[in-house]
Amino acid sequence: MDFDFSVISDNWRFLAEGVGVTLLLSLASGVASLAAGLVLALLRLRGPRWLRPPIVFYIDSMRAIPVLVVLVWTFFALPIVAGVTMSPFMAGLIGLTIHLAAYAAEIVRAGIESVRPGQTRAALALGMSRAQILRRIVLPQALVRMLPAFGSLLSVTIKDTAIASVIAVPELMRRSETVAGQSFQPIEVYTSAMLVYFVLLYPVTRGVDRFYRRVAHLGRS
Amino acid sequence: MSAGASARAKASGTKAIRYLDVVKRYGGFTALAGVSLDVHAGEVVCLIGPSGSGKSTLLRCTNGLEKIDGGDIEFEGARLGRDERALRAMRQRMGMVFQNFELFPHLTAEQNVAEGPRTVLRTGIAEAKRRAAAMLAKVGLADKATSYPSALSGGQQQRVAIARALAMEPDVMLFDEPTSALDPETIGEVLNVMKVLADEGMTMVVVTHEMSFARRVGDWVAVFDSGRIVEEGPPEQIFELPATTRTRDFLSHLSWNA
Amino acid sequence: MTFDWSVVWRYRDALALGTATTFLLTIATMAIAVPCGIVVASLRLYGAAPVRTLATAYVELFRNLPLILVVYWAFYVLPIVTGVGLSAFATGLAALALNVTAYNAETFRAGINSIRRGQLEAALALGMTRTQALRRIVVPQALRRVLPVLASTWVSLFKDTSLVSVIAVGELAYVSMQARAQTFRVLEMLTAMAAIYWLLGYPQAKLVDWIERRYAVTE
Repeated sequence: MDFDFSVISDNWRFLAEGVGVTLLLSLASGVASLAAGLVLALLRLRGPRWLRPPIVFYIDSMRAIPVLVVLVWTFFALPIVAGVTMSPFMAGLIGLTIHLAAYAAEIVRAGIESVRPGQTRAALALGMSRAQILRRIVLPQALVRMLPAFGSLLSVTIKDTAIASVIAVPELMRRSETVAGQSFQPIEVYTSAMLVYFVLLYPVTRGVDRFYRRVAHLGRS
Repeated sequence: MSAGASARAKASGTKAIRYLDVVKRYGGFTALAGVSLDVHAGEVVCLIGPSGSGKSTLLRCTNGLEKIDGGDIEFEGARLGRDERALRAMRQRMGMVFQNFELFPHLTAEQNVAEGPRTVLRTGIAEAKRRAAAMLAKVGLADKATSYPSALSGGQQQRVAIARALAMEPDVMLFDEPTSALDPETIGEVLNVMKVLADEGMTMVVVTHEMSFARRVGDWVAVFDSGRIVEEGPPEQIFELPATTRTRDFLSHLSWNA
Repeated sequence: MTFDWSVVWRYRDALALGTATTFLLTIATMAIAVPCGIVVASLRLYGAAPVRTLATAYVELFRNLPLILVVYWAFYVLPIVTGVGLSAFATGLAALALNVTAYNAETFRAGINSIRRGQLEAALALGMTRTQALRRIVVPQALRRVLPVLASTWVSLFKDTSLVSVIAVGELAYVSMQARAQTFRVLEMLTAMAAIYWLLGYPQAKLVDWIERRYAVTE
C-alpha cells in the first residue's frame, strides 16, 4: 500500500482552477442567497399578507427537497420548461441560490424576531417611523444575532458546491473525479481534496466564532 | 435562648466546622484571604457582608464544591476529604440549600426529596418515600408531593429544597442566600422553616441579607469584607454596637427593621 | 414538445423500492449514529486528554468536509482498509454514519453543557457520585433539549441519502435518474423525483417544527 502523490503536483493547475471555481460559486451563491433571503424575510414579516403563504410554502419545500435534486432539476429540467440553455455553472448558481435562500430567509426572520419588542416600543416613543426603527434599531441588532447562523450557512454553501459536481460544474470535486479517473489513483486525489476542503472550511467556522464573540455585545439588549 | 445554646456549645467545645485560615483564589483574584471561624454544634452562624466579599465562596468550599488553595477546613474534627470518596461521605452529612433552589425539574417534589436517600444512601424506595413524606410535611408542603417544580412558587420550591437536604438527616445545614431570589411575600415562609430548624438545634451556616433573621435567630454573626472577616460576635453586639468602621458602613447602607 | 407522465406510473415499483431504500438508509444511519454520537460526546467531555483530542479531531474533521466527498473517499478507501469488498450500500451507510455521528456528538455535548452547573452541584451536594449525578439528573434534562436537534438532523440526513446515489446505491435519487436515462423523459422523471421527496420531506419538516415547539426550553 504505497501512495504516490505526484499525481497531485502533475495536475495542480487543473485542480487549483477547480478550487477557484469552488470559491467563486460559493461566494456568488452565498451573496445571492443572502440578498434573496433578506428580501423574502422582510416581505414575509412586513409585506402584504397574501405573500406570506407562498413564501412559507417555498421555504418549507426547500427544507424537504435535497440540494442534489434541486441542482439536477435546474440543469436538466428547467431548460426544457423555460426554453433557455444554461452552462453548468449558471445552473449550479441558480440551483444553490434557490435552495439556500430559503435557509437565509429563516435566519433573517429568526434574527429579527429575537430582538426584544421593548426596543421597538422605545424607538416608537422617540417618534421614529416603522421604517426607521427597522433600519436603525432592529436590523443592526438582528444582524449581529444572525452572525453565527450565517457562518454556519456559509460553511454549508461551500460544502454544497461539491454537490454541483453532479451537474458537471468544473469545481474542485468534479476536477478531482476527473484526475482520479484518469490516473487510477483515487485515494491520493480524494485525500488531497479532503485536505483542501478542510483547510477552506475550518477557518470559516472558527473565524465566524471569533468575530461573533467580539461583536456579540452589540446585539444584546 | 440562642445565646444560651451558643454558650453551652462553646463550653462543651464541640466544633462542628472549623475554618482555619482558608484561602481561595480564582486566577488573579483572591476571594478568601485567610478566613478563620468556628461553628459550634447547635449554633446558627450568619455570614453577612457586601456582595463579592467571599461569604458564598466560603460556604461552597465547606462541602468541597470549590477546592481551597490554602488553610484547612475541619468538619466534625476531621480535615475535609481530599479524595472524592471521603468528600462524598462528608457531603452526606451536610445539607446545602442554594439561592436558585436547584430543584430537579424532571422530578416531582416528592421524588426530589426522595432522590438523596434513594440514590445516595440506598435506603430502598419505601424508606425514601417515607422520609420524603415526612420532610415535606415538616416544611408544610405535604399536599404538593406530586407537583413538579414548575408548578410551585419560589417560596414553595425553596422549602422543597430544604426538605430535600433534610431527608439526608445531615448534621449541618448550609444555606447560600436562601431568600435572595424570592418575592418579598414568600421570604417569610422560608425563614419560618429555617427558624424551626434552628429551634430544634440544627447546626446552620447561613449566608444572608436578611438582617432581621440574623438578629432574631442567629447565635453568631460574622461580617465579611473583601475576603476577610472584619468582625464577628453575637448579633446584639454586631447590630447594636458594631466595633469596626467597615461594619458600621455596611449596616448603614441597608434598610432593615429589627 | 410532448410530455409523457405515464412513465412515472410505469416506473412506480422502482420508485417505491428507491423510496424504501432511502428510508432504510436513514433509519440504519441514525441507529448507528445516535449511540456512537453519545459515546464520542462523552469521550470529549470526560475522557483523558489524548482521548479528548482525538474525539474533537474526529468531530471537527467530519463537520468540515462535504459529505459527497466522504462518500467517494469511502468508496475507494474502505475496501483497502477493511480488506473486504463492501457493497455500495454498506459503503454509503458507513459514510453517512461517520458524518452524522460527528454532528450528533456535537449536539449531545452542547446539550449536556447547556444544563446549568447548579443542577450538577445540587446533586453532588447530596453526596452523589459524578456518574450518578449525570445519569439521574443531567442527562435526563439534556435529552429534552437534544430531541429537537436530533429531529432536525434526521430530516437533513433523509435528504443527504440522495448523495450516495453517486456510488450507485439504489435509493430514490439513483432510481429516478436511472429511469430518466432509460426513458429520456427528463422533465417527467426529475419532477417526479422532486415531488416524491417533497411529499416525504414536507411532513417531516413540519413534524420537526412541532417537536421544537413542544420541547422548547424556557429557563
